[in-house]
Amino acid sequence: MEIIAALANGFIELFKAGAATFVAWVTGIIPLVIVLMTAVSSVIKIIGEDRVYSLAQTATKYTLTRYTIVPILAVIFLVNPMCYTFGRFVEEKYKPAFYDAAVSFVHPVTGLFPHANGGELFVYMGIAAGINQLGLPLGELAIRYFAVGIIVILMRGIVTEKIYAMMKK
Amino acid sequence: MYKSILITKGKSGWGGPLTITPTEKCHKILCVTGGGIHPVAQKIAEMTGGEAVDGFSTGAPDDEVMVAVVDCGGTARCGVYPKKGIFTVNLTPVGKSGPLANFITEDIYVSDVKESCIQFADESAINANPAPTKKSPSDTAKTKAQARAELAAMNNGRKKNIVTRLGIGVGSVVNKFYQAGRETIEMVMKNILPFMAFVSMILGIISASGIGNVIAHTLSPLASTLPGMIGISIVCALPFISPVLGPGAVIAQVVGSLLGVEIGLGHIPPQYALPALFAINAQVGADFVPVGLSLGEAEPETIELGVPAVLYSRLITGPAAVIIAYLFSMGLYS
Repeated sequence: MEIIAALANGFIELFKAGAATFVAWVTGIIPLVIVLMTAVSSVIKIIGEDRVYSLAQTATKYTLTRYTIVPILAVIFLVNPMCYTFGRFVEEKYKPAFYDAAVSFVHPVTGLFPHANGGELFVYMGIAAGINQLGLPLGELAIRYFAVGIIVILMRGIVTEKIYAMMKK
Repeated sequence: MYKSILITKGKSGWGGPLTITPTEKCHKILCVTGGGIHPVAQKIAEMTGGEAVDGFSTGAPDDEVMVAVVDCGGTARCGVYPKKGIFTVNLTPVGKSGPLANFITEDIYVSDVKESCIQFADESAINANPAPTKKSPSDTAKTKAQARAELAAMNNGRKKNIVTRLGIGVGSVVNKFYQAGRETIEMVMKNILPFMAFVSMILGIISASGIGNVIAHTLSPLASTLPGMIGISIVCALPFISPVLGPGAVIAQVVGSLLGVEIGLGHIPPQYALPALFAINAQVGADFVPVGLSLGEAEPETIELGVPAVLYSRLITGPAAVIIAYLFSMGLYS
């Protein structure tokens, strides 16, 4: 009998650590995410996605903006996965590069705008939880993730554009 | 002469499409949008030859109402008319919601409707329409000018004062906030909480069973040096591995959570969080290239060559992203 009781306790112990993690996440992450997501998506609803179309269309002409401003606007306003529909503003030969840039931004965006990819928050949140545990502020990581994200999508856009052009020949 | 119309839902709408056929008795468009006739109601009236009435000033018996146009944010009006069995057009993007949600069905309700969502029904539907009756010319389908004049007259009679307009403005903003809140909670319930449940279960077992120590001794050293992280990114970016790792970013999220634990325990220095975010995610979207390209209306040939182009590109840009992030992590948390 005692053995069975000990086994049962051990079994429950196995999940207590998980329960503690769960509670820490629910209380530490969810309240802020809920309020932030609600605020940002309200603002975006008030601005309206139609209003960014013309800006996006103009910005597709130049390499520098095609792989920065266009995907950023697309991801923030249309969110994952509808952001890829902005590809229709882009010339055919740039579409794979544009997709690469847009999809590479759906995680760097989540530090500041979690509404844009609410289903995949934990790429950032998982690592951020560790920073949180150390008692360090998250703002700096979020900003740097966002900024490096912009540089990386520009680079991905340019490299993929060149590779696609080479393959097409 | 009355005409049938087809009303489809708007971009973020729900329900429909509705085919609406006016009849002799039932041809009124009841506009319940806070006073005045909304352009959508007016357009329905123009196209069907029906009569738009302002629900706030006149009202109409239920059996004469062909369709109700409402701007309900998801509590009352959107359910009231469907409950009565009246076709309901909601101008705001609200689906089944509110206490009367059960009555809101796709065959009676359509939302996020704009003027561009209304068109004439196809030939067969019009033929099915009751034959036009002998009516005086003034009762035939109104021309645009006539309808405009009528609308102007109606709005003049009941000029919206500043308080009403302010009320409508505030109402629409508040509705947007409310809708945003509803969407956020849905996202938390459907995606975030289930993910937390599953990952905290795994993390709990890992730490309680001692596998955590193994990870701490293998993954942590790898993720706390630049070459280690470049290695991780190259593996993630291999063209035959990256599409497998992609779906739902589940792998990246689980690995991210594991690394978070190690950072929290002090096994990985905090400034490595930034390059790590790129190292574990070199495969982002590699599984989704064809779908993403077709969402962007790419030609089939573009998709065919675009998929390998993106996958090969990651072999270069994956490690490069880690290096850029590493440079930018200098001075972080020090």
